[in-house]
Amino acid sequence: MPITISLDVNGKTHVLDIQPQETLLQVLRERLGLMGTKANCEEGECGACTVLFDNKPVNSCLLLAVRAQGSPIVTIEGLTEDGRHAALQAAFVQEGAIQCGYCTPGFLLSSAALLDRNPAPTQDEIIFALSGNICRCTGYTKIVRAVKKATPGVVSE
Amino acid sequence: MTNAKTIGQRTPRQDAGAKAAGRFVYGMDFQLPGQLYGAILRSPHPHALIRSIDTRRAQSLEGVESVLTAKELPAGLLMPGVVCDQPLLASDRVRYHGEPVAAVAARTPAVAEQALQLITIEYQPLPALVDPEEAMAPGAPLVHEGWEAYQAEQGLVRERNICCHATLRAGNVEAAFAQADAVVEETYSTESVHQSHLEPRVATAQVLPGQVPTVYTNTQLPYWIRTNVAHVLGVPEETVRIVTTGIGGAFGSKLYPQIEPLAALLSQRARKPVRLLVPLSDELLAGLPRHPTKTRVKSGVMRDGTLVALQATMVMDGGAYAGSTPEIASVAVLCLAGPYHTPNVAIDVFGVLTHKTNFGAYRGPGGPQSVFALETHLDEVASRIGMDPLELRLRNLLDEGDLAPNGQIVTAVGLREAVERATRAIDWHEPARPNHGKGLSLGWWTTTLQLSSSEALLDENGKVFVRVGTQEIGTGAIMGGVRQIAAEALGLDVDDVMVEVQDTLSGLWDWGSQGSRTVSNVGRAAQLACQELRLKILTLAEQMLETNRDLLEMAEGCVFAKESPRDRISLKELAQRSPEGVLRSRAESRPEPATYDKTRLTSCLYPAFHHPSFHCHAAEVEVDPGTGEVRVLRYAAAHDIGHAINPTLIEGQIEGGVMQGIGMALMEEVLYDSKGFRTNTNWTDYKLPTIADLPEIEAIIVEHPSTLGPHGSKGLGESPVLHPPAAIANAIAAATGERFRSLPVTAEKIALALDKAAKPAPPQRR
Repeated sequence: MPITISLDVNGKTHVLDIQPQETLLQVLRERLGLMGTKANCEEGECGACTVLFDNKPVNSCLLLAVRAQGSPIVTIEGLTEDGRHAALQAAFVQEGAIQCGYCTPGFLLSSAALLDRNPAPTQDEIIFALSGNICRCTGYTKIVRAVKKATPGVVSE
Repeated sequence: MTNAKTIGQRTPRQDAGAKAAGRFVYGMDFQLPGQLYGAILRSPHPHALIRSIDTRRAQSLEGVESVLTAKELPAGLLMPGVVCDQPLLASDRVRYHGEPVAAVAARTPAVAEQALQLITIEYQPLPALVDPEEAMAPGAPLVHEGWEAYQAEQGLVRERNICCHATLRAGNVEAAFAQADAVVEETYSTESVHQSHLEPRVATAQVLPGQVPTVYTNTQLPYWIRTNVAHVLGVPEETVRIVTTGIGGAFGSKLYPQIEPLAALLSQRARKPVRLLVPLSDELLAGLPRHPTKTRVKSGVMRDGTLVALQATMVMDGGAYAGSTPEIASVAVLCLAGPYHTPNVAIDVFGVLTHKTNFGAYRGPGGPQSVFALETHLDEVASRIGMDPLELRLRNLLDEGDLAPNGQIVTAVGLREAVERATRAIDWHEPARPNHGKGLSLGWWTTTLQLSSSEALLDENGKVFVRVGTQEIGTGAIMGGVRQIAAEALGLDVDDVMVEVQDTLSGLWDWGSQGSRTVSNVGRAAQLACQELRLKILTLAEQMLETNRDLLEMAEGCVFAKESPRDRISLKELAQRSPEGVLRSRAESRPEPATYDKTRLTSCLYPAFHHPSFHCHAAEVEVDPGTGEVRVLRYAAAHDIGHAINPTLIEGQIEGGVMQGIGMALMEEVLYDSKGFRTNTNWTDYKLPTIADLPEIEAIIVEHPSTLGPHGSKGLGESPVLHPPAAIANAIAAATGERFRSLPVTAEKIALALDKAAKPAPPQRR
């Protein structure tokens, strides 16, 4: 039986009829066409599907869409539109932190959430914040560098 | 090239902005209207006879539009390959856990999954050959009873379960062992590791009556996919269209036709587009991961550190089908010989069939396994004669003009510089603190050659497009390297040049984004096409500006006279006034392969390393003596890549390859149980390195220009993954005094070994 839910995605309210077992990832990609949120493992290991829910990074593959009501959801499309983290996105581009790019939206959202709550993270805090996202291309060195570059405060070791 | 404007610049790649904005379209994001969803039914047994297959219930399920088993395929259909031994779907026998047996297409993914469950297959399970050494023993049961009848590449030596026996012989090892001051002999083993690209393998096929059969897929090798799709459809290759979508990582995994022929046939039968996706659990169950190996290495050395003899015998587990194993066996031969001028060498690599998934081409195939065996062994040799491991290498390494063991003369050799810079970066000669240790690894690797094609054109709006026939897989080779080479050849800014990847109907034939070849080969084709286009533009401008073309320059979208820059014409105006319309030029790159001594090699399908790259990695680790946990503290990787087209992208390749190699060294392992069942088919149990597992990697660029690639470039993509297992195992040995000869060197293995070493042997009970 379909159920009706209301999601706040990137500042817009969407009222949708969905199946109760649908994940937030499925709803974002298949019902709302927000393809910037990436899919793979569907068990919370790779972090490619990371979005912000109530300003915190979550694996959208593990969150049922019915449970994603009531707080704002931000995807990579929302982050781009909003523009507040344009410097972070530019740093990923400039520093070569993007190769195949499939993990990039997830890393950007995890990084944005970190910088929003902590404008002067330490090296260890950056690493902790990004340890739920797998990148198989870069070796992470340039990702750390990009986040440091976009950090408004000073990164201490 | 004088006044290089773009070569050597850290210019962002063409696709980075779209990727950072979440707008880049990958294979996973690609859809066709009215598409069906495919799914593959796989064998639950490592080895079994198929008694019967009943698909009637699946076929009558509402929403199922196509069901495919071997019965629907031409009888005896085998796929193209070096050895043609592999069916598209198993018919009478399954040979590995996860082998495809049937495929369906349905209106939703859920219905497709349900249909798979309604297919009834009666199996008669049989014992599986799991150990390749048992499989190669005389009298072992055959993985393929009809092995002799298979069509195979000429010159390939194969016998029963051995699908390839590749050899190298130089000098006389036995005589040299007899004269050596010390002879060291040990055995090393490596486990399979999986590419674990972040984007799944996915293809969407549209094979409809009266239309060009088309497959949209995230492949690295479109023209090989075309061969395979044409083969199963029974149509000429040139009538098939393969369109490469955006690719989210590949690392060799997306070279082979694992899904495209099935998707095409499902679509043909359903008369609708079909999207076929391999979920992660199936990818880890039955993908094309790296070959497990076991290698016996014996070497003879003089007291002064001169290596006089090297004998190595590798058993490479190929899995159930030959696949790429024969080629990779010969690559292993060259890697086992190493970048050393050892005069007496005898190497044997056996590719052996077992009842496991078809091990395949993962970045640097055959490389890390061979380098782990050889470079770990050399540390043992150094320890035996009481010599610094660095000193031992410096005494034996290849220098400019030396003869490598396969009889090829090496040139543009930056090895000595790579060794010096990598070891200096970790202060090699400073004594290590307690529980710390340093290790290194050296090697050489190839730049794969073969045909690449490119077309450059100036369109009616004055924009330059550079077209190529193979896809950007993430490395930046196409969207960074090739684009910068093209811009340089044209004399334009990078922003004025757009690289476009074309489908196979373009005829821009290419041997693909693989084998560390892309920048050097695709770049070379693009460079030639752009040089010719530049000449066409300047020739036209010569008439329009009434100035000799040698006196003209191109910049900022204009052609102008060097002496009087006000005499100028925009590319747009020039294009619009062009009497022949769009200006275009087309070029191919087909470089000469390296020469070698044919008398030294047998059954080697990849007998020489073309325009080889040279590298040295140096690592410092700390080992927790209580838990065995390894922390990589410093890691320096120096690569001679000829010439850096874009240092940022090159560092990215080095850092990423090192990360994958560290995974292989310390944690990654594709596991089979003793009966041949795969056990860890998810990313919880198959462990990938996270950001918290890695140090900051120091990538060091060494430039000894080759005569192959644009501006002297040579291959890079694969070689960074070759060395971490050896460099880290050597560092762990230095830190703990314990030698680990099998990968991965897990904390558990270390803790157990340290525990054993610390405790006296328990007293014997009477």
